[in-house]
Amino acid sequence: MNCKRFEQQIWAYLEGQLPSAQAQAFEAHLQACPRCQRQIAAAQATYRALRALPRHRAPENLVAQVRHRMAQPSARPRVDWARVWRRVALAPALGLLTVAVWWGWQAQQPNTPINTAAEDPTESLVELHEQLEVADWAPSPTPSYFISTGYTR
Amino acid sequence: MFRETVSLSGSYVAVDTLSVEARLVERAKAQDEAAFEQIMNLYADRLYSYILRMVGNATDAEDLVQETFLRAYQGLPNFDGRASLGTWLYRIATNLCIDHQRRRARRVPTVSYSAHDDEDGEATEWDFPDLQTPNPLDAALNRELEAVVEEAIGKLSPKLKTVLVLYDVEELSYEEIARVLGIPIGTVKSRLNHARTQIQKAVAAYLSDAPVPTRAPSVK
Repeated sequence: MNCKRFEQQIWAYLEGQLPSAQAQAFEAHLQACPRCQRQIAAAQATYRALRALPRHRAPENLVAQVRHRMAQPSARPRVDWARVWRRVALAPALGLLTVAVWWGWQAQQPNTPINTAAEDPTESLVELHEQLEVADWAPSPTPSYFISTGYTR
Repeated sequence: MFRETVSLSGSYVAVDTLSVEARLVERAKAQDEAAFEQIMNLYADRLYSYILRMVGNATDAEDLVQETFLRAYQGLPNFDGRASLGTWLYRIATNLCIDHQRRRARRVPTVSYSAHDDEDGEATEWDFPDLQTPNPLDAALNRELEAVVEEAIGKLSPKLKTVLVLYDVEELSYEEIARVLGIPIGTVKSRLNHARTQIQKAVAAYLSDAPVPTRAPSVK
């Protein structure tokens, strides 16, 4: 470990956050380096001083003053209508977006009828599978296979 | 680490405290002013102490705490409870402090240290007090040291100061500070290191001039 690395790890070491292997390397460097011994002494004093800083107490009448201000009509709680509208508007907007994406995706599908919602989608898959089986047995792809799957060269 | 178990209310019974706070928030949302007053009593000292260190002026700090509570009161209908009450209040207070410092900066030019100021890399020769063994002389030195640290905190840039005060003084966790400031935890740690290093330089300069050399450092 060099001094730069030592400085980078100094706060983690003081807080006990260094893994043991790194802590051992840190301490080994500390033993051998007078400069870093001075560094850690200053860091340690800083750390303790920061943690010992007093907390200030609020003035006695602070809460009473806020309560007085709360009684003013202008201080009443208010709903952020802009935020509410943003949320209300978001749901239908997302719905429209979903429909638009779905419609766009459907429109890109080659020659597949869109109005198949009433049918069981597994039925068309079964049909397609059966047609593929027929195609496997046929010596060459049949015209009906190309037509029914919408395949084009 | 104990820190993870301590809620913003500073209590070790974090779960109970949070549920109490949640009930108070619900009551306050239903226009129960007594509940909001309890919330204020819970947080007045902590917010005042935090804001005072941020702005360095008691009158301004009092005004800003009042404004924090008023904004919280007005904004309660919009508080959805995704953040804890404490996180929300510290966020309001922090934003007010930043606005206040911007206004003040426009009026009076202030010195702000960047994260990499004073990188001279050279150590000076000094001894340091053993802060573990209290005696009258050390106590006096500690009071001086406290003043040095407070002054150095006052000179930090707002970004560094916010993180340092929230972590080292207010004892929020990295995660809580990240939520208050809306920044990644890694940024919180980085800013904290820079801030502490700047305070450390002020402390080192003070210790190099300190009149009383004492014992060798106890590392931990």
